[in-house]
Amino acid sequence: MPGPKIGRRGALAAGLALPFIRPAIAQTAEPYVMGSLFPMSGPSAEFGEAFTRGAQVALQHIAADNLLRRPVRLQSEDSQALPQPSVVGMNKLISVDRAHWVLVSWTATSKAVAPIGDRAKTIMVNGGAVGPDLAGLSPYFWNVIALAHLEVQVMVPFLVRQRNARRVALIYVDDPLGDGILGQLRGTLPRHGGELVGSFSVPRAAQQFGPVVARVRQTRPDAVYVASFGAQNAQIVKALRDNGVTQTICSYSAFGIDSLRTMPEAEGALFTSQKLDLTGAHALTSRFATDFRARFGQPPLVYHANYYNAAYLFGLLAKQVETAGGTVNGDSLRAAMLATRKFDLVGGEGEFDEQGNMLTQMQVNEIRGQQFVAIG
Amino acid sequence: MLFLQLLLNGLQVGAIYALTAAGFALIFGATKIFHVAHGTAFTIAGYVFLFAWRAGWPGWAGAAAAVLAAMAFGVAMERYVYRPIQRHEGSFFTVFVAAFGVGIVVQNVIGMIAGRGFATVDTPLSFSAEILPDVFVAPMLWISLATAAVLFIALTVFLTRHPAGVGLRALSQNPDLVRTYGLSSNGLSVLAFAIGSALAAPAAIVTVMTTGLNEAIGHQVMLISIAATIVGGIGSLRGAALAGMMLGIAESLALQFVDTQWAEAVSFLVLFGFIIFRPSGIFGVVQTR
Repeated sequence: MPGPKIGRRGALAAGLALPFIRPAIAQTAEPYVMGSLFPMSGPSAEFGEAFTRGAQVALQHIAADNLLRRPVRLQSEDSQALPQPSVVGMNKLISVDRAHWVLVSWTATSKAVAPIGDRAKTIMVNGGAVGPDLAGLSPYFWNVIALAHLEVQVMVPFLVRQRNARRVALIYVDDPLGDGILGQLRGTLPRHGGELVGSFSVPRAAQQFGPVVARVRQTRPDAVYVASFGAQNAQIVKALRDNGVTQTICSYSAFGIDSLRTMPEAEGALFTSQKLDLTGAHALTSRFATDFRARFGQPPLVYHANYYNAAYLFGLLAKQVETAGGTVNGDSLRAAMLATRKFDLVGGEGEFDEQGNMLTQMQVNEIRGQQFVAIG
Repeated sequence: MLFLQLLLNGLQVGAIYALTAAGFALIFGATKIFHVAHGTAFTIAGYVFLFAWRAGWPGWAGAAAAVLAAMAFGVAMERYVYRPIQRHEGSFFTVFVAAFGVGIVVQNVIGMIAGRGFATVDTPLSFSAEILPDVFVAPMLWISLATAAVLFIALTVFLTRHPAGVGLRALSQNPDLVRTYGLSSNGLSVLAFAIGSALAAPAAIVTVMTTGLNEAIGHQVMLISIAATIVGGIGSLRGAALAGMMLGIAESLALQFVDTQWAEAVSFLVLFGFIIFRPSGIFGVVQTR
């Protein structure tokens, strides 16, 4: 008996129908979308690249461990470290890509996108911005980095007691981050016997700092605190050293990037960061350090670890939701976080407070011989 | 002493602005093309010098490579971007978008090649010494000023004495007459782009040594160049150079009187002042209708 014949028209029709059949079959394996809103172009792109690398290793580990039933896709949007492109990117991630988890950075951009994420009940995790007012921005906005008020509270006593630097001048970027650190220094320095002898605001796009340094020198500081980001931090450091400022330069965790580590003018600069011991016995930290080095050919820095944690946390929480038979979305992920609070992350156990801020230990680092050396 | 220090800082910044603005003004004056990608020529020159320095080339060889790279970029823009657009009678806006697009592409390519971060060369020339109480000056100040002065004198001689220079001036005033006299307006246009782009290279080299580079620096350079061109008088080379120097000094001296965050705003206040009270600029010709 002859079997059924498939004519050319039938084959063509079947071929045309294939694209419509595939999504139906793949429905169950459709990936979770994790958004990222980092500066991938412009003067702060170095940070975007670093943040992304940390998240990529986390996704590699989530996939390798078969942590979730569905794969996770990282969807990147270029924030340019500016609020307006960030808002556009956030809207796309939520409305088009249906992301329930978005990695964010930069104080000003985080504040710009937080209401959008809050409305859509999308979890936003910050591992790079340190503006003090990022705490409690939204129930869906979490921080896996110590915010500026904690960084300043660590740096100021160190300056006064360990370096006898009581007169501190501040160069800060004219945005919410800079304003936040100015406020913190104003409050913290007098409490520890120090004094803010001058504060000098610079626009975000400023390139020439020689004249600003002339004003800084006039204040006769013992130390200069630099509170900017991206290439501007390095430009300010170079301008300070080139224009006769020999005093201690200090800053917050934004100094933990390669362009500053390798810059001769930054030798001796101090900065605060989360405590991260890559040589210890903690299994996840060792695995992260090994795999990061293998993939990118460099040892990981604090920012890499932060965004690893920000992305890996999704894996841990989504697994809990899946195991409980729930749907992975902002509300279920937040409920899982509040129910658990403590997670095994890079650097050790990370504990979150009610508002989604991870509590962490801090350290003071010095740039010494093109290395970051923990000194306090 | 603060005033003197700020003045000296302003002179150094002004020399950089003057060179970039003069290049932009030369191109715009001769060809009437709003070459927004002039900042990109600056960026390319800076990075070529940086790579040459890191490769251990002598400074003069790196500088020559930077000048050649900037010229090559300028000429390529004229030949392969602007000329085809003008052949199809593209509007000012088409030219602007094309140049802006090229700038973005080059910025990203540089980011991919050189890495997305701050880059500088470590040289004692940028390191200041205290010459008077509280007055710090780096050798780079004198080098910047001398370079700017020599280049402007050379450019002035070229534009007034050399037939090609005279042709360039003629092109800016009456392109039809240039063609009538049998001169190639296309050739002169290429020359304008070559010289104008080359002028950005010394400024880029000073910048990479003093303040450092990142791949997005071209936008800032363009803003200042446009402001200086308007303040100096559209099409006036000496006007653009003088205005660039003036803006640099104003930006620096302003810190004697205002808070640091307003320094760059001063440049644009000067620009607004000229637009309102002297729209033709310092050396511009007032046109009555």
